Amino acid sequence: MKLKTLLAAVAVSALALSGCAVDHSGQDSAKPTLRLGYQTFPSGDLIVKNNKWLEEALPDYNIKWIKFDSGADINTAFIAKELDFGALGSSPVARGLSAPLNIPYSVAFVLDVAGDNEALVARNGTGINAIADLKGKRVATPFASTAHYSLLAALAQNNLSPKDVQLIDLQPQAILAAWDRGDIDAAYTWLPTLDDLRKTGKDLITSRQLAKDGKPTLDLAAVSNEFGAAHPDVVDKWRQQEARALTTIKDDPDAAAKAIAAEIGLSPDVVAGQLKQGVYLTPEQLTSPEWLGTEGAVGNIAKNLQSASEFLAEQNQIPSAAPLKTFQDAIYVKGLPGALAQ
Amino acid sequence: MSRYSCWDERDTACPLLPLTLSSSIGYTSQGVAGTVSVFVDITQAESQVDSPATPAPRPGRWRGRLTRAALPLLSVVVFGIVWQLAAAAGIWNQTFVPYPSTVWKAFIDVSTTHDGVRGYAGYLLWEHLYMTLRRVLVGVVIGVGLGVLLGLVMGSIAWVRSVLEPWLTFLRALPPLAYFFLLVIWLGIDEAPKITLLALAALPPAAVATTAAVVAAPVGLTEAARALGATRAQVIRDVVVPSALPETFTGIRLAVGMAYSSVVAAELFNGIPGIGGLVKDASNYNNTPVVLVGIFAIGFSGLVIDGLLRAAERRAVPWRGKI
Repeated sequence: MKLKTLLAAVAVSALALSGCAVDHSGQDSAKPTLRLGYQTFPSGDLIVKNNKWLEEALPDYNIKWIKFDSGADINTAFIAKELDFGALGSSPVARGLSAPLNIPYSVAFVLDVAGDNEALVARNGTGINAIADLKGKRVATPFASTAHYSLLAALAQNNLSPKDVQLIDLQPQAILAAWDRGDIDAAYTWLPTLDDLRKTGKDLITSRQLAKDGKPTLDLAAVSNEFGAAHPDVVDKWRQQEARALTTIKDDPDAAAKAIAAEIGLSPDVVAGQLKQGVYLTPEQLTSPEWLGTEGAVGNIAKNLQSASEFLAEQNQIPSAAPLKTFQDAIYVKGLPGALAQ
Repeated sequence: MSRYSCWDERDTACPLLPLTLSSSIGYTSQGVAGTVSVFVDITQAESQVDSPATPAPRPGRWRGRLTRAALPLLSVVVFGIVWQLAAAAGIWNQTFVPYPSTVWKAFIDVSTTHDGVRGYAGYLLWEHLYMTLRRVLVGVVIGVGLGVLLGLVMGSIAWVRSVLEPWLTFLRALPPLAYFFLLVIWLGIDEAPKITLLALAALPPAAVATTAAVVAAPVGLTEAARALGATRAQVIRDVVVPSALPETFTGIRLAVGMAYSSVVAAELFNGIPGIGGLVKDASNYNNTPVVLVGIFAIGFSGLVIDGLLRAAERRAVPWRGKI
C-alpha cells in the first residue's frame, strides 16, 4: 500500500515536471524551426542574435540559437543533423570537409579573419623572445582549434616540429589559470583571455602576421547542404542580416560593441577594443576573388581551406587532404554578389 | 582457549554457524584469564552451507559451468554481429557507427608505431592506460584510506558523525566536473588536480559504507566482548572491524567505480598520456573509432579491476553473508 502511494507520487511529479521546463525561447510549434549554432567570439552572428534581426526577417520561422564552445562540437552537431547554420573556424571546416568526416555543409559567409585577436604569447621571465626559443618549453593551446592550427604553422615556419615543444591541450580559461600559476611558458589563444595574458607576457606572433605569410585563419559560417538546397530564400535572408551586421561593425562600432557585449557579458569598451583587433570584411570584400568570390567564380577561400587541409594531413590530424574540387564545391556562392544587397 | 558454539540466542543465523573463537588477544588489563578472541571463523561452516546449494551430479555441474562461461561469450558474439549489421546497413554515417573492423584497425594503430607515428598523440595505448591506472590507484588509495578511517571514526563516535555527515553528503552530491576547474586553479594542470579529483570521488562511497557498516555491528557481539573485559579499542579492532569489513569492501568497490568513472573528467585538462585524455582528444576530432577504442579500454580494465577486487574480497572476508 505504502509502496503504491510512493510510486503514484513519483509518477505524478514526473508528469508534472516534464510539462514545465524553463524555456524562454518562445517557440511556436506551428512554424518550422531554424537552428543556428554560434560561438562567443565577437562576430556579426552575435549582433544579429542580440538585435533579433532574423526574427524580423523570417517571421515564418522559429529562430533557435544554440551556443557551442568549439568548432569540433559544431561539426558533431552537423553530423547529427541538428543544425542548419553554424559558426566555426577554418581549421574545423577544413577537417569537416575532408575524409573521414565529409560533412555535407557549405561555407556561406566569412564572419571574421583572425588578426591580432589570436596570438602566441610568451610569459615574462621565461626568457623566450622568439618562436625558436620555445624548444622544450610548455606551450598550451585549445586542441583542434584555429589557434592550434596557427601554432603548428608558426612552429613549422621556424623549423620546429610539434615534438620539439611540450604541447598541452587547454581551453582558454584553463590557460589563464595555468599561466598565473607558472605552469606554462607560452600559449596560443584568443580574446578575451589573450588580453589578460598580454599583461604579463609578450606577443611572439599574431594570426595577422601568419595570414600575411599564407596561413590565414578565419571564422566561417556554414550552412547544411540539405537546408541550402531546400530553402535558398532563407539562406539569402540570413546572408543579408549577416552582411548588415558587418556593415554595422564598420559604420557604427559602438552599436556593434554594445550588442556583442550584451551577448558575452563583457563591457562594451572591452568588446570595442576586441573588434579593433580582428579583421572584419565589408560585403564588397567578401565577394571579391580573395574571399568567397561570386557565383561561377569561387574565390580564394577554397584554396585557403585546401591548404589548411593539406597542413592538417601533414600534422597527422586527418588521414589525407581532400582535393581542391571538394572545397570549391563546398563554397555557397549562389546569387553572389547580388544576394548580399540590403 | 575457549570455544563457544552459539552465544547469542537472538542471532538467527546462529544455528548454522559454529562460531569459533580462536585466540589472538589477551585481556590482561581487565584481569580476564586466558586469551579470547571473537574472530568468527567459519571455514568449516562454509562447506556445510555450500554443499546443499550445489547438488552432487557432476555432469550437471559441468553443464552449469559451461553455461556460465558460454553465455557472456555468446552475448559478445551477438553484440558483434548486431554491430556489424548496423554498420553495414548504412543508415548512419560512418562517424556514428563505424565498422567493427575500423575500430579494430584503430586499436592496432593506437597500440603500435605505424608510419613513424607512435600510437595516439605520441603514446601507445598501454602507456595511456598505464598512466590512467596509476592516477586511479594513487587517487583511490588516498580516497579510500581517508574514507575508511573517516567511516570508522564516524561510525564509532556519534557527535563526529553528526558534524561530518552533511559535509560528506554535500561532497557526494557534487559532480566532479563542477569543481574540477577550481582544482586546476588551486593545484595546477599536472598530476595533483587529477589525483585529488579521483580521491574526492572515491572518498564518500568508502566513508558512507564504512560508517553504515560500523553502526550496524551486531550489538550482541560487542556487548559480549565488553562483558569479557575488552576495552573500547579492542572491541573496535576485533569485533567491529571484522563485522564491518564485508560492507566496507562493497564501499571500496563502489569507490573504485566512482573514481574510474571520473577518469575522463579528471583528464580533461592536459590529460595526455591518459585514456581519458585520449577519449577527449579523439572526440575533439570526431574520431569515433579511437573514442570507441578508449571506451572499450576503460570498460575492460574496469571489469578486470572489479574482478580483482572481488577476488580480494573473497580472500579477505570469507565470512561475508555468514554472520
